[in-house]
Amino acid sequence: MSLQMMEMVPDRPGTWAKRSFLPILSAGLFLWSAAPASAAGTGQSIEKQFKITGRPVVVIHNVANGRIEVKSWKNSEVDIIGTQSSNKVGFEIEQAGDRIDVTASILDPAAQPLELEANLQLTVPEETELQLKTETGLIYVEQVMGDMKLESYAGDVHLKEVSGYIIVKTTGGSLVCTQCAGKLDFSSIGGNAQLLQPQLNNVNLMTTTGNILFDGDFVRTGLYSMKSGKGLVEVRFSSTDSFDLKAQTATGTVDNQASAFLKPDSHGVKHSFSKFTHGLFGTVGMGLAKVELSSYSGTIRIMRRD
Amino acid sequence: MQCKDVELVLEQEGLEPLPEYARAHLAECRDCRNYVADLTSLVDAARKLPSEITPPERIWISLRAQLEAEGIIRTAAEIVPAEPAPWWQSIGAFFRNRVLATSTVGILIAAAAVFLIRSERLVEPLRPVAPPSLVEEVPGEFAGTVQALNDQEPVATGVILASTSPVDASLGDNLKKVNEFIADCERHLKEQPQDELTREYLSAAYQQKAELLSAIIERGRSVN
Repeated sequence: MSLQMMEMVPDRPGTWAKRSFLPILSAGLFLWSAAPASAAGTGQSIEKQFKITGRPVVVIHNVANGRIEVKSWKNSEVDIIGTQSSNKVGFEIEQAGDRIDVTASILDPAAQPLELEANLQLTVPEETELQLKTETGLIYVEQVMGDMKLESYAGDVHLKEVSGYIIVKTTGGSLVCTQCAGKLDFSSIGGNAQLLQPQLNNVNLMTTTGNILFDGDFVRTGLYSMKSGKGLVEVRFSSTDSFDLKAQTATGTVDNQASAFLKPDSHGVKHSFSKFTHGLFGTVGMGLAKVELSSYSGTIRIMRRD
Repeated sequence: MQCKDVELVLEQEGLEPLPEYARAHLAECRDCRNYVADLTSLVDAARKLPSEITPPERIWISLRAQLEAEGIIRTAAEIVPAEPAPWWQSIGAFFRNRVLATSTVGILIAAAAVFLIRSERLVEPLRPVAPPSLVEEVPGEFAGTVQALNDQEPVATGVILASTSPVDASLGDNLKKVNEFIADCERHLKEQPQDELTREYLSAAYQQKAELLSAIIERGRSVN
């Protein structure tokens, strides 16, 4: 626009200089004004490796926005790659024996959300204990064996082929657990929980408004408790499973789509609900595992997978 | 002298001062020197610990909710009046806490908004208003928990109102969800006081709310 205006002005001494100088000046000013945003958007990264001798414990506290990804390898080393969107976020990484602490903190409280992105990518030995805490952004853990506590306010948690005592706590984030084994505790206010092809023998799921989906086998002698305040609790079991089932709701509904497979309890105990709740009791197979489904006002759906 | 003798001396007499014969053994025995060094660092670390750690408020609220749900306690804790202080000191102390100051500003803004809305509605005919969820309407055993949560909620709401962070917005959204759920359970329990399932859900929701409020307030403090 400024160039067009320049062309409309009659030629005078020094016009050539203006024509040549002003575009350069304009471009310079433009680049100068864009420079801070560009720097803020430029990814900065650090990478560190730590030798460990035993089973490591990795503790991450990410108060910035971003993703935490943990995968495993055969090496006795923990590799950490941290990327940040600006220098308004800082990483502190320290090792004390086999414990490795990583903290991503905000250095400038006045920074904009886009400047506060800090992603962490870890590669750890297969047997590693994890304690991860983030505010928002995905937590992704794959092929790690060991106890883990994963906390997030708004971010989701995705686990694949992990085993151990797994504690997941979110405020609004959802959990997707694929081929997980061991014991799982999940609690959330608004988050959903999906357990796909699990090999878990102890499950405690509790969400206030989220939905719950259990799609897989119940391990014999396993204990399963799934509760949602207002959401859907759906269980898809296999015909070869063996479990006792109790499903109850206060004001919701029980949608039993597997009545052909649910027999009356075969263990001789007479069950009954209080007059304020309704639901069903039943047994699949020998009734070796124990499954308790509950919802205050949502729907409980029971169906066979195969 | 043997290593086990040194252990015995340390057990009975402590680290300092060590007797001459024990020191002589230490001079020759690396294991015992390491053992003493470990003990010394442990004692030093223990000395640096605060004598008393105050647990976060949510622990008390969760504990109270659990005890009330189990019927172990049934009355709200007695509030001990503080020593009277001049009113100007109270105001000064109140505004020293930035979180409270922020929340107060938030409450004032909300109050002003409510006042304006109500002023506009004055031209409309008066209609019956649904009663808000009050402490006296909840089941008796939860009264103490509800009171504690109600005390904390304005502070947390102030933090959310003062923040532009998407995380705080998400926390605020979840606070709304848990509040709606609590109100629903309270209403139901008022009609069916013997409904144990609803009581369980209500107790769990109070605990979740306590943790959520605590998280919001903690975040507010760390940002301020």
